Amino acid sequence: MTCFGAKRHSTAYLDERLDSIKRCQVAAHVLSCESCSSHFEQIGAVKGALDNMPRPLAPARLRTQLHVLASRERQLIELNGGSRLLAAWDRWRFRMDQMMRPLTIPATGGLLSSLILFGTLAFTIGTTTRVVSYEVPVAYQDQTEANQLPFELRTARVILNMSFDSTGHLQDYAFADGAAIDAGHLQYTNVTMPQFPSVLALAHPTSGDIRISFTPLAFRQ
Amino acid sequence: MGQSVSGSANSLSITAGAQSGLSEEDDRILRGLRAGIESAYEELIDRYQQPVYSIVYRLGSGADACDVVQEVFLKIFRNVGSFQEKSSLRTWIFRIAVNEAHNHRRWFARHCKREVAIEKNEDEYTYSLEHAPDPGRSPFDQALDSETRALIERALAEINPVFRAAVVLRDIENLSYEEVAEILQVSLGTVKSRILRGREALRRELSQKLEQGLAQAFG
Repeated sequence: MTCFGAKRHSTAYLDERLDSIKRCQVAAHVLSCESCSSHFEQIGAVKGALDNMPRPLAPARLRTQLHVLASRERQLIELNGGSRLLAAWDRWRFRMDQMMRPLTIPATGGLLSSLILFGTLAFTIGTTTRVVSYEVPVAYQDQTEANQLPFELRTARVILNMSFDSTGHLQDYAFADGAAIDAGHLQYTNVTMPQFPSVLALAHPTSGDIRISFTPLAFRQ
Repeated sequence: MGQSVSGSANSLSITAGAQSGLSEEDDRILRGLRAGIESAYEELIDRYQQPVYSIVYRLGSGADACDVVQEVFLKIFRNVGSFQEKSSLRTWIFRIAVNEAHNHRRWFARHCKREVAIEKNEDEYTYSLEHAPDPGRSPFDQALDSETRALIERALAEINPVFRAAVVLRDIENLSYEEVAEILQVSLGTVKSRILRGREALRRELSQKLEQGLAQAFG
């Protein structure tokens, strides 16, 4: 028996778990080897010291706590008609409830605010009106700049009466006022009422007599 | 099986034949627990509260041992229905205790390692009460015993938890190798190896601590 073998068997030797042959071999080696003898002595002392270690005494309150715990568990099982499965389901539900509770307020707040936002915007969807100016753009602010533009507004306003058919084509027209317009004669076939998208979305197609008033625009000479 | 269980909230009357792996006592407690009989719960607590506390305390739960013990009993109460009776009730309970103590140690290492308790540890107080002066021993002997115990406790806390569990169950709780193997769910050979290495580690720790103590005393 080598020192390594003897040390390897030290635990089994001290706990008397070796068969008689092995035990004799180890005992013989320990008697003959000073190092192993010392080692076995130390291990034996450790084992003895552990064996004599007193158990830590459980505090008195632990017993009460355990009884409360037992009582609660029994009560839970009784409430569920003795079914541990139902008790486990109840516990799971309770845990889920506890887990979800902190999320309730943020989630509800988010849902409500999105509902309010959507509800407010829902009324505007499909009825949006776009304010479009069909006036001729006047891109000047003073007379100096106005003189630089290639066209100018006439001073006299023109009132024009026009008749349209059901398709919106011009049938006839007449100047009600400001007949001195020098724009020449309007070309019947080329005049059509503009396709005002905003108007057409809400109203019937334009037809019949329409009277419009405008200030003519003329190119500078 | 020819077993019958009858009982009310305050009484337990069970006639049962012992099953394989379970003693008659264990079987009686087990059936009482499953039937929800109060006296069975009380008996279980009376019988296992102290050893479970001892194991949990020694495996490093220290000041939180009470909380861990409560966790252990909660698991016992809730899982008693699924206990398959392949081992003894004691082994099953100790296995839960060892696992819970390991879980707590891991949790503690992750979360609370840097925390420092400012309150007096009640468990330490309780622990010291148990070692009230023995009139048969001199104050010097008592002081020496106390010092030795503290030294061993510190050395035990230093060694690898895997080896510590095996050593605590074998040398302090005096369980057999087979029981230790069942509790730790390892083979008998592994138990032998762990006990050997645990004792060896403990011997080294104690030697170091004694040498340090001597060096401080005479240096």
